Amino acid sequence: MSEILSLDFVKQLFFLMQDHHLGYIYKGVFTQEVTDTILSLTENKLEKQEESSKLKKRVYNILVEALQNVTRHQASNKKADPKHDSLFLIQKMNQRYVITTGNIAKNEIIPYLQSLIEKINTLSKEELKEYYKLVLEEGSISEKGGAGLGLIDIARKAGNKLIYKFVPLNGELSYFYLCTVPVLEEENLKENVGILEFHFVEKIHEILNKENLSIINNGPFNQESLLSLLNSLEGQMVGSISHKKKVFYIVVEMLQNIIKHGFIPKDYDQNVVPGIFLLGFNNNFYRILTGNFIENEQLVSLKKKIDKVNALSKEEIDEYYNESLFNFEGSNSKKTGLGMIDIRLKSGFPVQYDILPINNYYSFLSLQSLITVE
Amino acid sequence: MLEAIKIQYQEDTPSVILDKENGIFEIGHRSLPENAIAFYEPIINWLNEYKNNPLPKTIFNFKLEYFNTASAKQLAKVLLLLQELATKSDVLIRWHYLKDDTDMHASGVRFSKLLKIPFEFIEM
Repeated sequence: MSEILSLDFVKQLFFLMQDHHLGYIYKGVFTQEVTDTILSLTENKLEKQEESSKLKKRVYNILVEALQNVTRHQASNKKADPKHDSLFLIQKMNQRYVITTGNIAKNEIIPYLQSLIEKINTLSKEELKEYYKLVLEEGSISEKGGAGLGLIDIARKAGNKLIYKFVPLNGELSYFYLCTVPVLEEENLKENVGILEFHFVEKIHEILNKENLSIINNGPFNQESLLSLLNSLEGQMVGSISHKKKVFYIVVEMLQNIIKHGFIPKDYDQNVVPGIFLLGFNNNFYRILTGNFIENEQLVSLKKKIDKVNALSKEEIDEYYNESLFNFEGSNSKKTGLGMIDIRLKSGFPVQYDILPINNYYSFLSLQSLITVE
Repeated sequence: MLEAIKIQYQEDTPSVILDKENGIFEIGHRSLPENAIAFYEPIINWLNEYKNNPLPKTIFNFKLEYFNTASAKQLAKVLLLLQELATKSDVLIRWHYLKDDTDMHASGVRFSKLLKIPFEFIEM
């Protein structure tokens, strides 16, 4: 892993997610535990950001249904191509929540799904209710019936049209993106609202596939959001307890680094630190990545620090840790001097970094730490 | 008598008991506060005070499941104080760790090697 890798995609994802107000993305296997943690994470965010309890409830109900739908229709084969993983994204645009899911679908049922969605989109609220009953009674239509009910239910709960796209993968399968924007009854909409296209979802999805990423959390960060992120990670990580714990240690240090040293450009909320957190895994490694703004004047000392810990052998890092542990000179609440050493020590791999200049005053810093999964 | 400190644990701060009267000295749970210096300050002040007139024997229990590096430095300060205390009181560090938690065990071993006070390792 000595080759220099570009971490440019971290910055790309950060700005894509900023531009489209995306808060959270998960790609991978959807288990009950994963679903639960996504629900509690989004519930947490809703609780903080949303005043309307009606909308909160509505969004929550759709989340439950959408996540169940994705879980039901994910690739059943555990060794399946990661490109076939299911996907979940949530964004808040113009006071509306946009929930997007993705899963594979067999090409042979696409005409059915397509005509079903087109039909759903023409039905009024009352008609949808009737249609739901009808399909429920015809429930015997097996495989298709299940998908049908889920879609009708999402449309009913959303009070809005479904937006969708099929992207062919091969002769047998396509990728099915489904997007819904919950609205309230009293809004009495004549037209569809929300997003009309989702090129950016495909673009993000492509990066996730290419880089083997599973979880993305677009900050902003403070101690509170760090804690809720840590809670959600516990349910979403694979591997042994000791691996999870190592990831936990590194995530805390990397995110507290952002909270303490991240720069807040003036067009961002000044109370929280903008930044992005990414977690990926393939067969051999966990990839823990962060991205945040940093003042250019801090770059020299930061580079020096990282290059120093990277150049040390295991014994030397240990020694360096001990020295720093009992060195209280010049350390303050912002700077302990131990964080980077600890990350290097726990990971066993060099800390990779990529600095992408934004302007004369600040840059975008991407960091990556790896952990071997035995 | 030096007034006892009893702090309930929170999601990111540890439980603390410093009770001279009952001879209980303990830090437990998780420690990853945003500002570790501020959290540990009263603990360090208390120990400085206690050092003036300690019990003949001081058994200090560390029952931590997790701590971040900012807390590590403050724990180092606490342990240094306990080392100073050892001239006046019989100090023993009981370092508890969860079964299979090699990181927490290793942290205790690291401290024990860097200090001149006895450590006892106990699996929780």
